[in-house]
Amino acid sequence: MDKFKQNIAPYLFIAPAIIVLLLFAILPILIAFGISFTDMNLLGLADWANINFIGFDNFARLFQDKAFIQAIGNTFYYVIIGVPLAVLASFLVALALSYVSNWLSSVFRVVFYMPSITNIVAIAVVWGFLYNKEYGLFNYMLSLINVDAISWLDNPAIAKLSLIMLAVWKSTGVSMLIFLAALQSIPKSYYEAADIDGANGWQKLINITLPSMSFATFFVIVTTLIGWLQFFEEPFVMTEGGPLGSTTSMALFIYQEGFQYSEFGYGAAASFVLFIIIILVTVLQFKLRKSEDKS
Amino acid sequence: MKKKKLGWLSAILFSGALILGACSDDSSGDEGTDSTSSGDDTIQVWTMSADFDKFVAEFEDESGINVEVQTIPWGNVHDKLLTAVASGKGPDVIQIGTTWVAEFAEAGTFLDLTDHIADYPNLNPDNFFDAAVESTQYNGQTVGIPWYVDTRLLFYRTDLLAEAGYPEGPETWDDFLDAATQLTARGDDQYGVDISQGDPQFPFMLAWERGFKYDEAKGSANFEDPAFVDAVKLHNQFFKDDLAQLTEGKELYQAFSDGSKPMFFSGPWEINSINTQIPELEGKWDVHVMPKAENNNSMIGGSHLGIFHNSDNVEGSLKFIDWMADPETQIKWFENIKELPANTTAWENPVLADDPMIATFGEQLESTQAVPVIPEFEKLAQELIKTLEQINHGGADIDASLADFRSEAARILGE
Repeated sequence: MDKFKQNIAPYLFIAPAIIVLLLFAILPILIAFGISFTDMNLLGLADWANINFIGFDNFARLFQDKAFIQAIGNTFYYVIIGVPLAVLASFLVALALSYVSNWLSSVFRVVFYMPSITNIVAIAVVWGFLYNKEYGLFNYMLSLINVDAISWLDNPAIAKLSLIMLAVWKSTGVSMLIFLAALQSIPKSYYEAADIDGANGWQKLINITLPSMSFATFFVIVTTLIGWLQFFEEPFVMTEGGPLGSTTSMALFIYQEGFQYSEFGYGAAASFVLFIIIILVTVLQFKLRKSEDKS
Repeated sequence: MKKKKLGWLSAILFSGALILGACSDDSSGDEGTDSTSSGDDTIQVWTMSADFDKFVAEFEDESGINVEVQTIPWGNVHDKLLTAVASGKGPDVIQIGTTWVAEFAEAGTFLDLTDHIADYPNLNPDNFFDAAVESTQYNGQTVGIPWYVDTRLLFYRTDLLAEAGYPEGPETWDDFLDAATQLTARGDDQYGVDISQGDPQFPFMLAWERGFKYDEAKGSANFEDPAFVDAVKLHNQFFKDDLAQLTEGKELYQAFSDGSKPMFFSGPWEINSINTQIPELEGKWDVHVMPKAENNNSMIGGSHLGIFHNSDNVEGSLKFIDWMADPETQIKWFENIKELPANTTAWENPVLADDPMIATFGEQLESTQAVPVIPEFEKLAQELIKTLEQINHGGADIDASLADFRSEAARILGE
């Protein structure tokens, strides 16, 4: 009996977490997977008899849908430009904070973390004004140095970059904290040894700081990448995907199809495409890291 | 030692049970959203109108029925209704925008009121504008009772339009374009009119005025009508000739106030907003019925009150809707936030009849057309906005874009 208790104890410990995960993550994913093969819409929601199984039709239609192809393109654009920027920005901020005095560091930690915990709607209002073409702060500052007003959110090419800028500003805080923690856990003795050997600041950064932080960096890159693949809030509140669909991300496309047009089957199919892309990218990253570790 | 272990174990089991309990469906926990929990003397109302809970206090005193009001912003109400339909848990009375009637009626959201109308004199269809009653009908069912109506007309700066030679406002679309062209020629950053590009009804209004009529039997072929094509061309002309600003630009009231956008199309609520936000403009602006092409039809929209299909207090809900449809209540509601009564008797009251701007709205209501009552309208409208964006913003060819729009419409309509 005692042995049984001992065997079962660890499972009981993890049971609450597993149950929550099953109910609120795994089960919805499975249901969504099922829905993606149907033509479920508002009618089907009201009466399940109206739902028809339509096989891979949704997926076939997705890859002929110009709006979806554009959304995939936009998402990769966000990821390719946004992820390096976001990781670099938070790393530099963390590094700078580790060099300054204690109280200054605490103050700026709060300053940089603030955007992450600010409500996105409030951010949208403020940044909406900053980006305003007629009386926004950015264009006012440009006018001081005689640069013409820029349509921050109305020009298809610039709107994407404007959103990236906003998202980098908003997301820096969280990764910064992780980098800071990693920086502080590097043993001081490494640096002392380097000082004795006569290494300069740059050499210490390249040969001690960066390698010691490789796991934190990996973690930040993986989570940031997943976050940017699911890019949603910024275009949702700032541009609603416009102009000309140039800021629609895959996540926003899924939301629009699923909840604005009530095409749940189609939306679910799109969400599965995104799901598969995220899994592939993440697995690829783990593979790369493994091969790096070996070499 | 053993005891301690058991204590932990039971603590974990207990917390697990708590979590499971939170997931399970118990109606005692959320009285706020569950209609089954409300008693006989309580009805729940979902509305998009502000200050509604204060307004219904009088009804509560008169009838002894307790009204629980939940105010939902327009932007969220579509999602909220979806969830209600999916879960079967809605309020008793719902405010429903006219363009959503078909979509939600098809999904069986509303109780059919046809058999109840005779019991309540205020619900008689003869009391309301015909076009408003039409949009409460779906497949032979009456899914709601008109509450307020809404139409669009032209707001313009009298002083600036006088300079362009139209002190009384433009009568026809030719006048309108002439005035807008002159006003645009005043210089940089000066425009003739402000066009809301996200409004799907405006292009339909332009089409109706040119004789367009949507015929459900024809489906996507409707959009081959030259009247519709002309409307899209006119819509494009506003932007192509710089009569209207393509980008977001200045806030509308500021632009209206400084004269850079001296005309725009909007609804009755705008009267109050202009009076409170730019009071210094008093006497320098007026409203005019829509400019005329073949006719000067505007849209008719507004809201109905419907009863959720599984409401357990149908009688109380009907009493409430009956009170809301009463001409006196309708006038009070009008005085409250200037939304136009759907009840035609209310229009004879001096509060409405003697106000020249409101009277203009009354005049416009005589010539209105409603958007097609089909479940697919919302999607068609979004697709049309997208198409117009491609033409106006992206410089796409009009004929080619309209051909794309038609094939997309055919798919949406399931042809």
